[in-house]
Amino acid sequence: MIHSIVWMIWLLVVMVFILSTRNPIYLGLILVGLLFLGHRLAREKKIKNWVLANLRFLLTMILLSTLINGFFSHVGQTILFTIPQKWPLIGGNFTLESLVYGVINGLVIGALYILFNIINLALSIKQLTRMIPRAFHPITMMVTISLTFFPSIQKRAREIKEAQMIRGNPMKKIVDWLPILIPLLVTSLENAFLLAESMTTRGFHQPIDLRAPGNLISLILGTFFVFSGWMMHLFNYPRYLSAPLFVIGFGLILLTLMAVGKHSKITRYHHEEWKPMDIMITIIIALYLVIFIYLRWADGLPSLNYSPYPYLSMPALQTIGLLFCILPFVPMIIKRHD
Amino acid sequence: MNSTRLLRLATDLIVIFLGLFSLTSPFFFTQARDIDNQAAAFPIMVSLIILLCLMIVIFEAQTSLLDSKMIAFLAVLTAINAGLRFLENAIPGPGGFSPIFFLIILSGYYFGSRIGFLVGAMTLLVSAIITGGIGPWLPGQMITAGWVGQSAIILTFLVDKFAWRGKPVEIILLSGFGGLWGILYGVIMNLWFWPFLGAGAGQTFSHTAGALENLQRYVAYYLATSLVWDITRTVGNILIISIMTTSVLKVFQRFKQRFSFQIQG
Repeated sequence: MIHSIVWMIWLLVVMVFILSTRNPIYLGLILVGLLFLGHRLAREKKIKNWVLANLRFLLTMILLSTLINGFFSHVGQTILFTIPQKWPLIGGNFTLESLVYGVINGLVIGALYILFNIINLALSIKQLTRMIPRAFHPITMMVTISLTFFPSIQKRAREIKEAQMIRGNPMKKIVDWLPILIPLLVTSLENAFLLAESMTTRGFHQPIDLRAPGNLISLILGTFFVFSGWMMHLFNYPRYLSAPLFVIGFGLILLTLMAVGKHSKITRYHHEEWKPMDIMITIIIALYLVIFIYLRWADGLPSLNYSPYPYLSMPALQTIGLLFCILPFVPMIIKRHD
Repeated sequence: MNSTRLLRLATDLIVIFLGLFSLTSPFFFTQARDIDNQAAAFPIMVSLIILLCLMIVIFEAQTSLLDSKMIAFLAVLTAINAGLRFLENAIPGPGGFSPIFFLIILSGYYFGSRIGFLVGAMTLLVSAIITGGIGPWLPGQMITAGWVGQSAIILTFLVDKFAWRGKPVEIILLSGFGGLWGILYGVIMNLWFWPFLGAGAGQTFSHTAGALENLQRYVAYYLATSLVWDITRTVGNILIISIMTTSVLKVFQRFKQRFSFQIQG
C-alpha cells in the first residue's frame, strides 16, 4: 500500500506537467503511462474493463473536442473545406490546424480525467475522508455518517420501489417517483432523528465550541493573502513581493487549522505508516517537481509549448521532457516492491 | 443585527466576491487571459481559491450551526441526495439532467441559506467519494451547488413578504428558480476551464479585446457547447420541483419541529 500523501504529491506533480504542456507526443506518452498504472490498479481491485471505459471516454473527448474546434475555430492555413460565411457560428474555413488543436485539447482533458480516476482507484473511501483536516471534525463526522447511511438508504429505496411496483406503479414518469421519494425521506429522517437522540445521550449534544471569531477571521485573512499573491503574480509584480504573500497566506491558514484541530478529540484505530519506499518515492517526485519548476523558470523546456497554428509542424522533443513522461510509472516501482 | 449574523453576512459576501471574481477575472484583466502563460496556472489557482472559500464557509457553518441534531439531519439528507446522484450516474438521464438540485433548493428555501449551502456542497462531496468523481472540478461543483442552496433564501424572503406560502405562486417561483439555476450552474462551471482547456481559437479570450467582446466570445462558446446540455437540466429541475415540492415541504415542516428539541443541563 502506498501512503495516501505520496499519492497526493504524485497527483499534483503529474497534474502540473499535464497542464503545462500542449505537446501531443508528451501528452500521449503520459496517457500511456496512466493507462498502464490504472490497468494494474484495476486488476488488483478486480475491476473489469477499466482501461476500455477510460479509453472510451478519452476517444469521446478527443472526437468532441476536435469537432467543436474544427467547426467553431477557423484559424490555420491548411484549409480542408469552407463552410458558407452566412452560416451562424460555424461559417468559415475548416482547417487541419484547428482539428489538431482540438485533438490536443481532448488529450489534456482525457489525461486529467484518467489521472483523477487513478486516484479514485488507488485511495479507499477511508483514506479520502481522513484527508479532511481535523479542524473540520463536525463536517468529517457528517460525511462519515452520510457514507455509512448510503447503502441502507439505497436498500430502502429498492424495497420501496419493489413495493410500489407490486401495487402497480409503472415507474415511467417523474410523478411516479413521488411515492418512492416521500417514504424514503420520511424513514431516513426518522433514522436521523434516532441518531441525533443517541448522539445526544452519548454526549455529542454540545454545539462545537469553536466560536472564537479569531479563527474564522484568520482563515479569511489567509485566503485574502493568497488571493493577493495570485493577483500580484498575474500583474507581473516582482516575485519577492508576491511570494511572501503566498507564504503568509498559506502559513496563516495552516497554523489556524492546526490550532483548531488540536481541540478535536479523535480516536484513530488504524494509522497509515510511512515505509522507506514511500519516503524514497516522495524524494524522487519532489526532485522531479523542483527540476521542472527550475526548467520552466529558466525557459529550459521550450518543447512543452507546442501550437499547431498557423502552420502544422512536428512537435519538438527534448530528452528531459521525455524523462518527465515517466512520472506516471513512478508508483509502479513501489507496487512491484510490494 | 447581532455579531454572529454580521460575521456570517461578511463571510458570505467575501466568499462570493472572491469566488466569482476569481472565475471571471479573465474578463477584466488582460494578464489573466494570457493563455500561453496561464493555461496551467489559471485552473489550478482558481480551484485553490475556491477550495479556500469553501473552507471558510464550511468552517463558519460548523462553528455556528452544527450540533448533534444538525449533523445527523444533514448527513441523512446528503446521503439521500447523493443516492439520487448515484441513480443519475447509473441510469444517465438526457444531457445535463440531474435529480439532485430540487432537494438542495428546497433545503435552502425551508431551512435557511447556510443549510442550503451545506446540503449542496456536501451532496457533491459525498457523491464524488462514492462514485469516484474526485477531481479538480470538485471544488467548483461544490461551491456552485452550495450557492444554489444558499440563494434559495431569496425566495423565502419574497414568499414571506408577499404572503405566497402554500399558494401556487410559491411552486411557480421555486420551479422558475430551479430552471434558472439549471443554466447558471453550467455557466459558472464552464468559467473554470474556459478557455484554457476546452475551447479553440476564436472562442477563447482575446488578449486585446475588451470585457464586452470577451463576454460575447464566451456566449458563443456557451451556445455552441453547453446550452442544449444545460436546457435538459433546466427542464428537469422545473418538472421535478413542480411535482415534488408540496409533498417534500410537508415532510420538512414535520421534521423541522421534531429536530428543534433543546438539551438542558
